[in-house]
Amino acid sequence: MQAIQSHLFAVREYLSPVLKESKFKEHGRITPEEFVAAGDFLVYKFPVWTWEKGDASKSRDFLPADKQYLVTRGVPCLRRATSLAYTDADEDAERLLNFTDSGAEGDEWVETHAGRKPNMDSAQNAGVIDDIPDLDGPQDDDDVAARIGGLSLASSGGAGTTETPDLDDIPDMEEEDLEAGDEATAAPKTTPAVIDASQVEVAKGNLLQVRTYDVMITYDKYYQTPRVWLIGYDENRTPLTPSQIFQDISADHANKTVTIEPFIHSASLQAASVHPCKHASVMKKVIERMNNSVVEEQLAQRKPSGSTTPAAKDTKKKWPFGRKSSGIGKEEKSGEDEEIEGMRVDFYLVVFLKFIASIVPTIEVDSTTSF
Amino acid sequence: MPIVQFTPFSSIIQPDFWHKLTNLKIDVLKLSDDALTVSGSYSTGRTVKDRESGQEIALGCTIALGDGAFDEREFGVPQGSVRANGTFKNYNTIEDFKAADKTSLFNQEAEKIWNQILTTRSTALLTHFLLITYADLKKYKYYYWFAFPAFVAKPAWELNGEWKGAGGEFSSSQLGSIHTQLKLQKEPLAFFLVRTDTQDVSISPVEEYETFFANTPSSAQTIAFVDPSAAPDSPGWPLRNLLAYLRALYPATTSTVRVLCWRDEHPVVEGLEWRSRFGVLEVGGAEAAAAVTRPQAVGWEKNPQGKLGPRAADLAPMMDPKRLAEQAV
Repeated sequence: MQAIQSHLFAVREYLSPVLKESKFKEHGRITPEEFVAAGDFLVYKFPVWTWEKGDASKSRDFLPADKQYLVTRGVPCLRRATSLAYTDADEDAERLLNFTDSGAEGDEWVETHAGRKPNMDSAQNAGVIDDIPDLDGPQDDDDVAARIGGLSLASSGGAGTTETPDLDDIPDMEEEDLEAGDEATAAPKTTPAVIDASQVEVAKGNLLQVRTYDVMITYDKYYQTPRVWLIGYDENRTPLTPSQIFQDISADHANKTVTIEPFIHSASLQAASVHPCKHASVMKKVIERMNNSVVEEQLAQRKPSGSTTPAAKDTKKKWPFGRKSSGIGKEEKSGEDEEIEGMRVDFYLVVFLKFIASIVPTIEVDSTTSF
Repeated sequence: MPIVQFTPFSSIIQPDFWHKLTNLKIDVLKLSDDALTVSGSYSTGRTVKDRESGQEIALGCTIALGDGAFDEREFGVPQGSVRANGTFKNYNTIEDFKAADKTSLFNQEAEKIWNQILTTRSTALLTHFLLITYADLKKYKYYYWFAFPAFVAKPAWELNGEWKGAGGEFSSSQLGSIHTQLKLQKEPLAFFLVRTDTQDVSISPVEEYETFFANTPSSAQTIAFVDPSAAPDSPGWPLRNLLAYLRALYPATTSTVRVLCWRDEHPVVEGLEWRSRFGVLEVGGAEAAAAVTRPQAVGWEKNPQGKLGPRAADLAPMMDPKRLAEQAV
C-alpha cells in the first residue's frame, strides 16, 4: 500500500513540470531557483544548515548537483510534544501562527497544541484529511482516525512494548575487566536511564531525555514547496521508531500529515515527513502577513527620506520608465510600488521554519530568533 | 590541585550508515571480515537553552558516522566539523562478535596511534577510533561497539586554578581573529597552536610546534583543539591524546601547558560571552624519559546501562518492509 502510494507520488512528481514563474506571494509556492536562493540565504544566516548532495542516482536535475537538499544535524528536542501541558492559558500562548483576522477557527492550521475546543474535532477537520490523496478511495474519517489511534503510542500509553527496541536482546558480553578504572575520565553527570515510551507521561519535565533530530528540507516539485523530513535519535543515540517520532509532533499533525516515507534523496533511507499538501496555502497566509508589515516598514523608512531630499524623489520617479524595458511586470504602476519590494523570497525558508516549528513544537528547528 | 577530567566521546550513528553497511555487506564484503577504514566527524560542543526552565543544557560529546563513512576519499566533512578516522571490523556471526579478542584489537589501535606520534609527528591519528559490529541483516538489528583509545597520563594532569571562559584570557578581538584564521584553513584543524604577539594572535598546526613556538615566552604559548565537549569543567576526549603527543615529543617544555578548548563554531554576537574554555594544566613528576614506552590506553564506549558492553541499533521499525506497511496510512 505504502509502496504503491509512494511510487504514485514519485511518478506524479516526475511528470509535473518544473515551476518556472515566481508565485511565492500569490500562492506561497516557489520555483527551484527560489528554493536555492532561499536556501543560500538560510545557510548564510544560520550556518547550522548546510546543502547536501544526496545520493547521486536520486539527484534532481532542476536543482544544482551540490545543492539538492538542506540539512541540519543534532537538533535537540528537550521534551515530548505529547507531554506539553494543555492548559487554556498555554494554548493561547503557544498558538504561534493565527492568520485569520476574523477568527474563523477552521483556518488555525498551525496550532501547536492539540485543540481541546469542540470545533477542532474530526468533523471540522474533515477537509484536511480529504486533501491527502489516498488510494483507499473515499473512506470514513472515523475509521482512519481509529486506525491511527491504534498505532499511535502517544495516545494509547503503554501499547509500545513491541515498538521499543528490546535492549535485552543485546548479547550478554559486558567485559568490565577490559580496562581498569581511569581517574581522568569524566563521569557522566547523569546516568541516562532508558526511558521507554510508556514512561513518557511519568517522566515529562525530566531534562535527561535529550533526543536529537536530523532535519532535512527538500524541494517538492509537485507541490512546489519545501518539504521537511525528520530522523530522530533517542537519548542513548539509537534511532527512534516511527511511533516515538510521533511523540514529538503536535497531535494535530501526527495523526494526519506526518508519515514515514522513503527519503527522496536516498536509495533506502526512511524518514518522517510532513506532507506538503497544505504548505503552500499556509505559507501564502504567513507571507501576506509578513509582506504587509515589511511593506509598511519600508514605506515608513522611505517617507522621511523622500520629503527631505526632493531631488532624490525626482530620480526615483523616473525609475519606472527606465525599468519598463527590462520587463518586470506588475510593479510598474507607480514609483511607490517600484520602490517597495516587500518581503524577498530569500526569507521564504526562514518563514517556513517558523511554520514547521509549530508542527514540531519541541524540536528546536527554528534557530532564527532574530527574525 | 584537581585532576583534569575529560568528557568521553560518545558515538552517534546515522541510519544511513547502517543502510550503507547492509549494501556493502551483501554486495562487496560478503563473508570477508577484514578491517576497513571508516571516517566520522565531530564538531564543537553545543549547549541549548531550555525555553521553559532557562537552563543551559550541554549536548553530548559526540562523534558522528553517516553514509559517507565507508568512502574514505569522497568523505566530505560537514561544515564546521573535523574528521576522525577509525578502523572498522564487521563480524559474520554474533558468536564471532562476542568472541573477538577486544583487548588485542584495542592495543593494536593504540599502538598504531603511538607509533604515528613517534615516527611522523602527525596529529592525524590522535582521534583514531575502533568500531566492531555485527549486522543481523534479517532482523535489521545492528550490534556495535566503539573504542576511542586515549593515553593515560601517569601521573595525571592537574588543573592549576580552574576552567574559565576564554574571554577571561583572550580579548574578544583575539578570539575573533582565531575564529577567522581557523575558517581560512584549507583542511579544518582539529588541533592547533595559538601564539599571542602583543595584541594579535596567530595560529598554526601542531606539527609546527618547534618552529612556531621558537623564541616565544611560555606565557604566550597556548595549545588548542576543537572541543566536542560542552561541559564547562571537563574538556573533550581529543585533548588527552594531544597532551600525550606533546609530552612524548616535547617533554622539556610541556610540563605546564595553557589549553584553549575551542567551542565557538560561530563568532559570538556582540555582548555575549565566548563559549570556549581556558585552563592551565600541569603534570607532576619529571618522568620525561618515559616517552619511549607506550602509555596505557583506555576508551571503550559504555552502553546505555553505563557498563562496558556493546550497543544495539534496531532499525526494523524504519527498514523492515512489513513494519513499514503497518505504519502506512
